[in-house]
Amino acid sequence: MARVILITILVGIFGASPTFADSPSVTAVLNASEALVGETVQLEIRLKGARSADAPETIAVDGLEIRRTGTSQRVEVNNFNLTSSVIYNYTILPLRMGTFTIPPQTIRVGNSSLRTPELTLNVAASPSGQTTQRRSGGSSTTGANQLVFAELVVPKKSAFVGEMVPAQVRLGFDPRAHPQLIEPPEITGQGFTAQKLQQSGQNSETIGGRPYEVVVYRTAIAAARAGKFELGPVKAKAQVVVPQRRSAPRSRSPFDLFNMDDPFSDPFFSNPFGQFGERREVEITSEPVTLEVKPLPQNAPTSFSGAIGNFSMTTDAKPKSVQVGDPITVTSTISGRGNFGRVNAPLVVDERGWHKYPPSSKFKQDDEVGISGAKTFETVLSPNEKRQSLPILAFSYFDPVKEQYVTLLSEPIAIAVQGGAASAQNIATSPPAAANPAPEARPSVTAKPADILYQLTERPAVAESFAPVYSRPLFWAAQLVPLLVLFGFVGWKIRQAKIDNREARRIAALQHEAAELMRKLHRGDASPREYYVGASRLLRVKAALARNIDPNTVDAETAAETFGLNDDSRERLRRLFEQSDELQYSGAHNGSAKVSSENRRDVLELIENLK
Amino acid sequence: MKPRRTCIELYELNVKNRAAEPPSFYHRHSARRSRSTQAVFIGTTLAIFLATSAFAQSDAEFTKANQAYAQGHFKEAVAGYEALVRSGQWSANLFYDLGNAHFRAGDFGHAILNYERALALERHHPEATANLQIARDEARALELQPSLPERYLQFASTNQYSIAAGIAFWIGALCLVVLIFARRRSIAMIVLLLVTFSVFAGAIFAIWQRERGVNGRALAIVTVENLQARIATADTANSVLALPPGSEVEILSTRGDWIYAALPNNLRGWIPATSAEQVRL
Repeated sequence: MARVILITILVGIFGASPTFADSPSVTAVLNASEALVGETVQLEIRLKGARSADAPETIAVDGLEIRRTGTSQRVEVNNFNLTSSVIYNYTILPLRMGTFTIPPQTIRVGNSSLRTPELTLNVAASPSGQTTQRRSGGSSTTGANQLVFAELVVPKKSAFVGEMVPAQVRLGFDPRAHPQLIEPPEITGQGFTAQKLQQSGQNSETIGGRPYEVVVYRTAIAAARAGKFELGPVKAKAQVVVPQRRSAPRSRSPFDLFNMDDPFSDPFFSNPFGQFGERREVEITSEPVTLEVKPLPQNAPTSFSGAIGNFSMTTDAKPKSVQVGDPITVTSTISGRGNFGRVNAPLVVDERGWHKYPPSSKFKQDDEVGISGAKTFETVLSPNEKRQSLPILAFSYFDPVKEQYVTLLSEPIAIAVQGGAASAQNIATSPPAAANPAPEARPSVTAKPADILYQLTERPAVAESFAPVYSRPLFWAAQLVPLLVLFGFVGWKIRQAKIDNREARRIAALQHEAAELMRKLHRGDASPREYYVGASRLLRVKAALARNIDPNTVDAETAAETFGLNDDSRERLRRLFEQSDELQYSGAHNGSAKVSSENRRDVLELIENLK
Repeated sequence: MKPRRTCIELYELNVKNRAAEPPSFYHRHSARRSRSTQAVFIGTTLAIFLATSAFAQSDAEFTKANQAYAQGHFKEAVAGYEALVRSGQWSANLFYDLGNAHFRAGDFGHAILNYERALALERHHPEATANLQIARDEARALELQPSLPERYLQFASTNQYSIAAGIAFWIGALCLVVLIFARRRSIAMIVLLLVTFSVFAGAIFAIWQRERGVNGRALAIVTVENLQARIATADTANSVLALPPGSEVEILSTRGDWIYAALPNNLRGWIPATSAEQVRL
């Protein structure tokens, strides 16, 4: 079973045909947007999601000579998705000054056609009329001569202090020398800072009739001070296989058409297994490049923080409806090309009526070396009073092409601030968007802060506690008081209920006794003593039930009063009680055995009429 | 004839006889009770004396710190007030004065922290409220925004809600007992029962909301300069928000030397544990 699962997994892994992550797409990018006449610029058309395509060999633009110089391929695997990219490299040679537009190019991939974006290249006149220092390249040791080369390509001859100048390092290797890079290239020199070299591509080029695999590294250089600098040389180390020298004359290599002492004319390269080459470490060195660095002009605006390049700014705020004192997050995005390390958050032109908090920033770069991208700042502003719009933000930078400072101002963003008092002065003096282009006019707010209040010298005798009252033992101890009160109340109520219950039972017993006596009186088989005693007892019970008293305490008068009898009935009642007492205590009852029916009727009538 | 003795003579005789008698059980018990009463009395007196002397001593320290403040020796005053805080002699005025001393020493983070502590002990402390606002303005400290229910529940303190909950509960319990034992169910009593239990439930909700809210037990104040809240527990992680000293954060969890906190402006991030102090001690 396990074997079946394993085979299934292996078939799944190896049998699955590679799938492209996305549909084909194409991008085009210049390594510099500005150049001088005669200074070459690299154009890279990158086709993603395809292995091959039909790309033009040349691109016709009047004033520019654009030729394809190589093709490289890159394959990436991400989460089992295979992505293949083809990179077409072009070299652009500006023939005259001006602004040139490289039109969209049609790239055919299978049956579909893709178009590159339109690109713009600004070409300035070359100050000395000289061409770019290219292929000033170095070579290495004698034996490895012309097997490797290095060159530093800097598209600009002059720059300003702090300006990020893009640069390229190209390392070329003859593939037949089986090169192996030991130490990556490094730009030597002083007075400038360079970004970390990032490998951006590899292509095949034929230079001077020899094939080379050229590895391209990109970086950006910024001069720390004004003056004339030598950038480089670029240094790297590689291992190459060089043929061993022979004393005997050898036949000429088919590569060495012009008898240029091509080392590959050695038979080693035609039959590597027949002869032995020598693996040798070579140092690759380029020629240095001269860069003239100019200082920045003196009239820098207040909001200038050292940003040099070409930027644009967008702003947004959230929320737009707040209470006085509530925070508003203002998001300002500076995008473009330049030294983003020196791009600081835009300044608030007029801070009056606002609290500004330190901003946070986030940078998203668009290229390998970080000179192109967008930096987003989030600044929290809090209104101190009613306001109708956010304060204007200003961001200044130095444009090296125009050679002047540029200040970008944000559009006024309408907001609604509720609560607090409107400051007429601030509303009246708030600057309009266009009327205050330069942040130098920003009024500085230096209001003296309010002073704190006096010390308090009184202290309570008992220390206070941060613990909430419900977590203190005293609070729960205090709950015993109402708990005891509640228990007392419940006990009292239960006792009352019990007492009420006893009374009810007594009444029920009396009612039961009355019913029994009534039944006996109706039967007529009782002796006169029993009959009259029972009748008087019944009267007492009835009176006791009516007055809620003990029946033993009821006499004839009480019973007559209880039932509100007239004189005749009262007299009959009294006689009944007297007769009962007489029969009970005198012993006269021993004479007659039965009560006459007339007397019984009379007694029953009296009792039944009692209500 | 034996002369008749007067009452006074009889009493004296009785006393003499008692003195001559050996001590009975009653007398021994009485003597023991008197000794224990004496011990309690001495203990109580001693405790009162110690408490009084401790308070007098702390009062002297408080006065000394106040004098240091008045003379402009703010760091000395801070040390004096903090000694009292460490000894547990907490009061709103002590934290207020400590906040003032920190403010004068230029430490706005700790000033705001101590004003907040004063207000945590005494919600209506006008001086602390005023100085807190000034310190916040100076430090440009960020504040947490209370949620909507919390904003409406701010009119009373947690302690007041606790007492209200207790009273409502017992009134409600009494109403329930009355209703159970009553022969006839009174509408008024039923309404009162519902009202009291509603008040009780509302007070409990208010306590819960306040304790877990921005002014609850998790409230902490940033006490260091140039603090960046980060998206991960590393100094190199991306910044979420720059927090000026005195800014409010709500501690959500702690991991090692880092605190995961709710930040102003509805953000969340990690800050070093040493960079903020909880308001409630």
